[in-house]
Amino acid sequence: MIKNLIRLGVAGLALVSLATSCSKEQQFTSEKTDAKRVEVQVLNADLAKVRDYVPLYAVIAHRGSTFWAPEETESSWRWAREMGADYLESDVQCTKDGIVLANHDENLKRTTNIENIFSENVPTSRVNFYMSLGFSRADAEAQYGRDMAAFRPFYALSYYYAELLMLDAGSWFNETSLEQSRPAFQATQNGSFTGGKIVYSNGQYISALQDQIAYAEGKRLIRDAEGRRVLTYKIKDEYQGMTLEQIYNAIKAKGQYNAKYMDFLEYDFENAYEADPQDTGNRPGIYVEFKESWLNPGNMEQRVYDVLKECDWNIIEKPATETAFYKSGKVNVGNTNGKVILQTFSFDALRRANDVFKGRIPMCYLLWISEPAYATDIAIDDPTGYAAFIKWAQDNGAHIIGPAISGAPNNYPEMNAPWQAYMIRKSGMINHPYSFDSWAQMCKYMGYYNYGLETEFDDLLRLEIPATPYTTASYPSSVPVYMDGFFTNRTEMSLKYMIENGFRGNSQLPNPFHAGQVYDNSQANVTVPDAVETLKRLGY
Amino acid sequence: MKKYIIFALALFSLSAVAQDFDNDPTLQLEKKDAKFTIGARLMADAALYHSDFTPMQSGASISDARIRTSFTYKDWYLYADFGFGGGKFSQKNIFAQWSHKTDNGDVHSIKAGYYNDPAGSMARNTSLGSYHFISRPGSSYALGEGRELGITYKYNSDKFMAYQGVFTENHYNKIKAGYNGITVAGRYLARPIIDENQTLHIGVSARFAQLGGGEVYKNILKKTYHMGQTMETYVDDEEQFVNADLEWANTVTNVGAELLYHNNRFFLRGEYFYKHVTKKRDTYSLMIDAQDNIDGWGSLEAWENANKLRANNFHGGYVEAGVILFGNGYRYNKSEGVLGGLNGKALELVARYNYTGLNDLTDGEYFNAGRGHYYAAGYMEDWPGTGATSVGGGNLHSATVGLNYAFNKYVQVMVDYTYHKLKSDYHPNDKNFHVGQARVQFTF
Repeated sequence: MIKNLIRLGVAGLALVSLATSCSKEQQFTSEKTDAKRVEVQVLNADLAKVRDYVPLYAVIAHRGSTFWAPEETESSWRWAREMGADYLESDVQCTKDGIVLANHDENLKRTTNIENIFSENVPTSRVNFYMSLGFSRADAEAQYGRDMAAFRPFYALSYYYAELLMLDAGSWFNETSLEQSRPAFQATQNGSFTGGKIVYSNGQYISALQDQIAYAEGKRLIRDAEGRRVLTYKIKDEYQGMTLEQIYNAIKAKGQYNAKYMDFLEYDFENAYEADPQDTGNRPGIYVEFKESWLNPGNMEQRVYDVLKECDWNIIEKPATETAFYKSGKVNVGNTNGKVILQTFSFDALRRANDVFKGRIPMCYLLWISEPAYATDIAIDDPTGYAAFIKWAQDNGAHIIGPAISGAPNNYPEMNAPWQAYMIRKSGMINHPYSFDSWAQMCKYMGYYNYGLETEFDDLLRLEIPATPYTTASYPSSVPVYMDGFFTNRTEMSLKYMIENGFRGNSQLPNPFHAGQVYDNSQANVTVPDAVETLKRLGY
Repeated sequence: MKKYIIFALALFSLSAVAQDFDNDPTLQLEKKDAKFTIGARLMADAALYHSDFTPMQSGASISDARIRTSFTYKDWYLYADFGFGGGKFSQKNIFAQWSHKTDNGDVHSIKAGYYNDPAGSMARNTSLGSYHFISRPGSSYALGEGRELGITYKYNSDKFMAYQGVFTENHYNKIKAGYNGITVAGRYLARPIIDENQTLHIGVSARFAQLGGGEVYKNILKKTYHMGQTMETYVDDEEQFVNADLEWANTVTNVGAELLYHNNRFFLRGEYFYKHVTKKRDTYSLMIDAQDNIDGWGSLEAWENANKLRANNFHGGYVEAGVILFGNGYRYNKSEGVLGGLNGKALELVARYNYTGLNDLTDGEYFNAGRGHYYAAGYMEDWPGTGATSVGGGNLHSATVGLNYAFNKYVQVMVDYTYHKLKSDYHPNDKNFHVGQARVQFTF
């Protein structure tokens, strides 16, 4: 009996061994397999509704353009608008007087001539600037001392917006992009403190968020006869009659978010713009990124909310009445509820944006990875880690994931491989990878990754792209598509690719978020303006 | 390949049932008062694993191959054994012991060398060759201690055992920086029942270690204490699912309690483990070193809030039971205060429950698997840091049943099945593990 029992036990183990050996059990960790096994949180109905505000296959003009014109200036955004981009992309910083800048770098040395205009100290003209506003010398000098204590050389947060308008934000581009340089990008006169007041430069400026919105609305800056923008400023009513010390204390008393900011000035943005005579009717949206949370006031998200509200671009306060993303060959995103998309890499900014916007404006959470992992990087770039970040993003009001893509010239880390694109699609979130600079990159993520061959992710990512009268692609209509829109520095090339490959100007595009439904962008323009001619037409 | 190996082991064990190798192969040389012995041990395991997500490596392995030697001369006993398991040579026990037996049978002994810490756990003080499961309970590895270099004094009578000593932290003194720390440990047993047929012992143990060795980190001595266990198996002996490295560890205190009862046909034993690890660091120097850019910390308080430090507490334990279905009964090893292995032809059925608790979580903290960090705020923050103090080493519940058959006192086969239930923030997709194992073991 005992022998039989032993035999039974050992034979049972051998059987289990055989069964397991023959099974398809995973024998090692594989992203390809795990991406399909890991549970991914799916966007809830409220967030999905807001997700659908965003046009599919959107072309997002990264900083306007980093290739053709000085980034995030009037020239780059006007150009992007006229080319037909769906969104004008920007980054927000904050000045010492609380103006929300649409500018990428917190340190202004790269994209302005600040080192030629100011020293590494608080601008020596600061005392005179205060006095030009009516404050006494003693009061101004005392405030200068306080400014000194919180000063960071060349950081936007250390300067008043009026001071920043003394800078030339275009000449650096001519120096670094010789082939795309244009005399009109460069100021002919630097800014200065002259005649008891700040005199602006007369070229491209560091932009305010209001400027970017105005360009999206088909406007341009009002300039005087010498080419200087017209933007007046004055002390806010609530601080009239107070000394700088009293203003400083009053602002400080408002709480930690305001402690190092002296936002006692108001600028007359309402009278700073005019209809752009070169406007051809495109109305793109804006795509705004919250940057390093520790360099900006803790209520930065609220400040952006307020600017959007002032400009009638806050759909929470004033929902859009139009729904068509394209009308008669013109971009119309800027007149829909998809007019503003927010984005950030920052955990803090995402959370605070959710507190302010409550997921009611499309929000993109951007992904980055480095070694060692930076403060907000995804540190464990496997399906489990990716799923955790997707959940985090959704729990904090995001509708879109923005992964980095590889390829020259940026050579970013690859964060939009098929398994990653699959997980984003599985979550019901939009995939907006960044940043595209080449035709090869567009081919890669819009049909030719793995040469378009079948992969295990085709069940969600392979789409049928019907031909249009404008398609010239020779590849099959069934292709894996690893994006739902993308950031590009080459709007002209991207639009061309989208049109020639059926992603634009097509009434029968599949809608990956609503099975069985089609997505119609046939009203979009199907001819792409010449990039250089457009710059010339705009006066550059 | 693995299925063939398992089949080979299985076939061998089936054919061996009809044979009887009951002999005494240990080589013994005796001359006057001196006696020299040499023996060996081999354990070959086959294992099948099934996990929810992260695969474990099923297969077969020589989990232990060992040569043992001893030399006895009057009151002196010298012992050394060396392992070859896993294809690597390793030093195991090596010690010298002097013993004195009093007229009433009590034994006083002094032992020096490299051997198991008396407070390391009853399980770790029990030879794996005498164990009634393929692996010792996981908690004895995660929360107990193993061999150390030191000297002990043991008093042993029928009713009591007091076994205590002093040890160093590292038996080769191969530490990168600092000094070789010191440990005091003791195990104390009372045996209210002890006769030829049954034994009941209850005991307590305590151990205190002042860690001394570490590495130089930013010009500061950084000591790290590691804890971990496998999934109670040797074929895949990774500690990936249950482990914790405690940075800035300073002292380690272990407290344990144990109980063992056996008669001829039945045994029951169990242990409880508690471990307390204190931390210590040169906070000011670290803060100064971190002032390396324009985003400085500003104050020591700000840095401390972002880099909190606290002591950690961990618990664990196990209960094991066995019943002899036929064959020779259970024996008690009074000298070591442990249960002996199967003694000659026997078949036994065993069961075990083990709990290992390496999660020491701080209320309100948030963990993100994409960052691999806890966050004190309850959500992820950019700056100034996580400020979290949670340790997520994993909590593991394990239930094992096994069948052991000894052909004789030298050859034994074992079959175990273990179900593990894991709760680990670092392995959110791994919850259930199934482990089937078999062993063929020779000892002579």
